[in-house]
Amino acid sequence: MTKLPALRIQAIGAWFLLSLVMLLFAAGPSLAEVKPESLPALTGRVVDVANVLKPQEREALRVKLKNLEDQSGIQMAVATVSTLQGEEIEPYANALFRKWQLGQKDKNNGLLFLIAPTEHKIRFEVGYGLEGTLTDALTKLILRNAVSPKLKAGDFAGGITAGVDESIAVLTTDKSSWQKRPALQQGGDQQASPAAVAFFFIIFLVILYIVWRNRNNINWTSAATGYVIGSAFGGRDGEGGSRDSGDNFSGGGGDSGGGGSSDSY
Amino acid sequence: MTAHFSRIRSLLAIIFLAIGLSGCGYNTIPTLDEAAKAKWAEVQNQYQRRSDLIPNLVATVQGYAKQEKEVLTAVTEARAKATSINVDASQITDPEKIKQFQAAQAQLSGALGHLLAVSERYPDLKSNQNFLALQSQLEGTENRIAVARRDYIQAAQAYNTNLRTFPGSVWASIFYKDAKPIAAFTATAPNAEQAPAVKF
Repeated sequence: MTKLPALRIQAIGAWFLLSLVMLLFAAGPSLAEVKPESLPALTGRVVDVANVLKPQEREALRVKLKNLEDQSGIQMAVATVSTLQGEEIEPYANALFRKWQLGQKDKNNGLLFLIAPTEHKIRFEVGYGLEGTLTDALTKLILRNAVSPKLKAGDFAGGITAGVDESIAVLTTDKSSWQKRPALQQGGDQQASPAAVAFFFIIFLVILYIVWRNRNNINWTSAATGYVIGSAFGGRDGEGGSRDSGDNFSGGGGDSGGGGSSDSY
Repeated sequence: MTAHFSRIRSLLAIIFLAIGLSGCGYNTIPTLDEAAKAKWAEVQNQYQRRSDLIPNLVATVQGYAKQEKEVLTAVTEARAKATSINVDASQITDPEKIKQFQAAQAQLSGALGHLLAVSERYPDLKSNQNFLALQSQLEGTENRIAVARRDYIQAAQAYNTNLRTFPGSVWASIFYKDAKPIAAFTATAPNAEQAPAVKF
């Protein structure tokens, strides 16, 4: 029998088994009716897929929404879609909200204003944390009285701006959801700063180098055992989204439970 | 001889490494179980929220449509029955209990739907601001119930799948022999498969 280095057989075997196991655990399709891949990406605070707003109108809204977040931490986004893909607006808005993860993870203070011009439907999807302030009745009133009449007349900029203004007004008058973010202003928030990234990359390179230098002397059994024991006791928490610096807007990991209300026009 | 043993040991180590890297460890089953229980608690929470809205609704409708006694009584009785059935988080593995809970809530949904249909006949009631607010709250609650149910079904599916597939089944047979699959929701109405006949 030819004497292949034992290490190489083990390494090949490990990779083979690994890939087999990974295949066994290929994630199946999720139960959600709306597939997250088909939803628009969060390109900014105003995502105008249906193209009903002019650039200066979009910019005006973006400034308002940014001010809202700067002052209170509430992440509000406006989205227009050209098609609801055969879904009702309620599950679509909820799926979109969850994809974008609006709102801070611990406060769930996100708000989505969704307009579907083709289906003539509008909806506020309210995060868990804001449901007490922006109640269903209030959002219904905003949609019915402020937004719907303007949209019926074809004034998208006016209707959407009215919706944004009214919800900001409600949010500012309630002190409990209107809290300054002292942590962020003092730089206490977790940020993927370039320094941290460079640090971990250097550590990674060092480990690689050490492994490479000692590649003939590594006891893979011990390495494997250590890894398994470590992973069996480790948790796998998802992390919240990254904070934005400047206006690279991204979701903060918040969730919504279907609060808010819809209307048609 | 020792060379062979160390080979076998290495091979075993690789197998364990593969299992470990696949991400399903000792912790996964309890974690998924707790997640499913939390989602169930949310489902109950939203159903309770709906039940809490009903007394106000009944009082408002009574102010305008006192003569609709049977409908109002039906709603009140259905609500009492629905709030009396409580499925504790530890009982979600019992399909019978889930079915009972569902049936009671479905009865309440039916009575509520009937009430709202009846109130369509009273224009004063329909334009009453309080009634409009209650209607929007009910719609919102029904939507929240739908979301909570979807989340629960997904969590139950994740748990059940993990129990049945490799290597979760291995961990279950060693450490979690008592783990049972979690019951999901079934079709609500007794004849849900048959479309209702629409007669104009």
